[in-house]
Amino acid sequence: MSSSPESHSGSKLIQIWQAITRTVLIPVLAVFTALIINAIIIRVSGGDPILAYLGLWEGAFGSPKAISETLVWSTPYIFAGLSVALAFKGGLFNIGAEGQLSFGALISAWIGFALPKLLGTSLPWIIHLPLALFGGILAGALWGAIPGWLKARTGGHEVINTIMMNYIAVLLTSFLLNGPLKDPNPFNVIARTPEIAESARLTPLIEGFRVHWGIVIALLIAFAVWWFLWKTTLGFEIRTVGANPDAAKYAGINVSRIIVLTMSLAGGLAGMAGAVEVIALNYRQELGFSIGYGFDAIAIALLGRSHPLGVVLAAILFGAMRSGATRMQFLTQIPVDIISVVQALILLLVAAEEIVRFIYRIKAPKETVVLTRGWGG
Amino acid sequence: MKKNLFTLLSALAIVSLALAACATPAPVAPTAMPAKAFRIGLVTDVGKVDDKSFNQSAWEGAQCGAKETGGTTKYIETTDPKDYDKNIAQFGDEGYDVIVTVGFALGEATIKNAAKYTKAKFIGVDQFQEKPTAGVGGLIFPEDQAGFQAGVVAAMMSKTGQIGAVLGTDVVPPVYRFGEGYRAGAVWAKKDTKVNIIYHNDVGFDKTFTDPEWGKTTALSMMDKGADVIFGAGGKTGNGALLGVAQSKKGFAIGVDTDQYLTVPEAKEVLLTSAMKLIVPGTCDLIKAVKAGSFKDGNVVGKVGLAPFHDTESKVTAETKAKLDEAQKGLAAGTLKTNVAPVKPAK
Repeated sequence: MSSSPESHSGSKLIQIWQAITRTVLIPVLAVFTALIINAIIIRVSGGDPILAYLGLWEGAFGSPKAISETLVWSTPYIFAGLSVALAFKGGLFNIGAEGQLSFGALISAWIGFALPKLLGTSLPWIIHLPLALFGGILAGALWGAIPGWLKARTGGHEVINTIMMNYIAVLLTSFLLNGPLKDPNPFNVIARTPEIAESARLTPLIEGFRVHWGIVIALLIAFAVWWFLWKTTLGFEIRTVGANPDAAKYAGINVSRIIVLTMSLAGGLAGMAGAVEVIALNYRQELGFSIGYGFDAIAIALLGRSHPLGVVLAAILFGAMRSGATRMQFLTQIPVDIISVVQALILLLVAAEEIVRFIYRIKAPKETVVLTRGWGG
Repeated sequence: MKKNLFTLLSALAIVSLALAACATPAPVAPTAMPAKAFRIGLVTDVGKVDDKSFNQSAWEGAQCGAKETGGTTKYIETTDPKDYDKNIAQFGDEGYDVIVTVGFALGEATIKNAAKYTKAKFIGVDQFQEKPTAGVGGLIFPEDQAGFQAGVVAAMMSKTGQIGAVLGTDVVPPVYRFGEGYRAGAVWAKKDTKVNIIYHNDVGFDKTFTDPEWGKTTALSMMDKGADVIFGAGGKTGNGALLGVAQSKKGFAIGVDTDQYLTVPEAKEVLLTSAMKLIVPGTCDLIKAVKAGSFKDGNVVGKVGLAPFHDTESKVTAETKAKLDEAQKGLAAGTLKTNVAPVKPAK
């Protein structure tokens, strides 16, 4: 459908308004509505919603320490959210961030603790730290590339294959942490690796707080993803394949290559989430660490409209909710599950934006072009 | 369009104000409490305070402690291991007097925070202390004595002279102590009892306590070979053994940790008793010790015991009860020893 000719001067404004509603207003209203519905749930179940939200706010932003903890939570969410968002832009649904993240974390931890022993010498951090980080990224990229290659080669759907790869990654991690990579300390009964060497650790950003350089890297990577997608030829090719693979093929783009590339990049970003958690925060990988981040990332990418800036904001929101939950629980003794309810409501309202449009009487814009065939356009 | 939107937003704002108005007055903020109040905080392992297991028992212990000392108590449920520190710090920063941390996994975070929050006393449930740390009491249990008592009951109740035990991996010291204590108790009660103990050592840590199918089939095969009392110990794996006995109805089962009459109701009819760690009184007593100033650093050995017989009460013979009584008195007096090593000896 071609756009209608401008009939009056206001049409330009209306177009801008519609662009804003489409990109910003719906997510904001979804969050707002989810919080209101959740307040009613808290009230009905006998809690005090005002005190709960006050606690949530205090716990997330109320003190320098709280802000530090929120950023600690947001960091893996940004990386993993970017992973899902980038795949969306290429028309692919990466449900595999969970597995890519856990495999990346495992390899990163292995390089962190085992490499100096294998070489029989300690490494300078300038070599060891990047090795641990890029090892994790490569592991995640490999884990993403496999479903990408299967899709390009055989047409096997990436949704099915990334889910399968999640199982393989999680069970492989479990096996390795219980067996070959387990901390050999005789007092240790936990399935986890030994601590990584000092030379593989990313230092805290500010002394006395847990927030680390990972958040700075995450923001830089978010900018890099934006620049890559919108300012480079390759990024343009990814978005074109995402918009219409047939047209992309007609235009001379090697679609198979782009699909594998997109999934590798997405996997690499998720792997980076796992690697940074290991080298900057936990200093080891343990069974039970970083569970569910890859699935939260899908909600974050959807809420952030698959735009890097949106992903950063959504990741900070989700990080704040997870981080502030401690204070909220402390003040109100409301079960912490209420946070999952808010997150689920947000996801529901963002995914089914017709609900939000209906509640607030926002008209759907007339689609002039189908921008994506995936979700999260 | 804009007008409608505005109306709705205002309506929602009013609703939220109304909610605020009818909300009960906010509980007094902790910081505003009188400085003298005795406050107890509890941090769970990843899990809930109503898990019918460890976390719940410790929480009931904290509530008991609060009641006995005239203090108050609050909990924080952990959702992710990276929050251990943060959740403990929440109570530390508020100046709590006692911080209870539940489970082996919180051991390191507990020791680390004890150095930071020197005003608080820490109670680490099931956290064995390799060396004493200032301000930390590790609440541990003599599982071998609980297993011993279970073994006495099993041997006395067996008609075939064969009993069995289905357990998680013996690499975990409490499981080893339960199993070997059971063996020792059975042999002490009746010298020629045949005890068949199988530890689930052939799988990883993520599976060894969560394999009810294996527990069930192992229990069933033991019963086929003639065993008529089965001790199931090791999370869901042990629960599976109880269910196996319930299914065959050919003998009796013995549970572990808490009174499993309440947690595995499917096995009610065949469940003799459970070898319990008394976490509730253990935690409660330690809290009282903090209040009384008699709290000591290092390991604190809690009590163990057997759960009531419940539905099988009428089937338990008088001589079983007499023998059990003799064992309990001997263990309490120290005249009877289980001779079980604290951990599985290295080969």
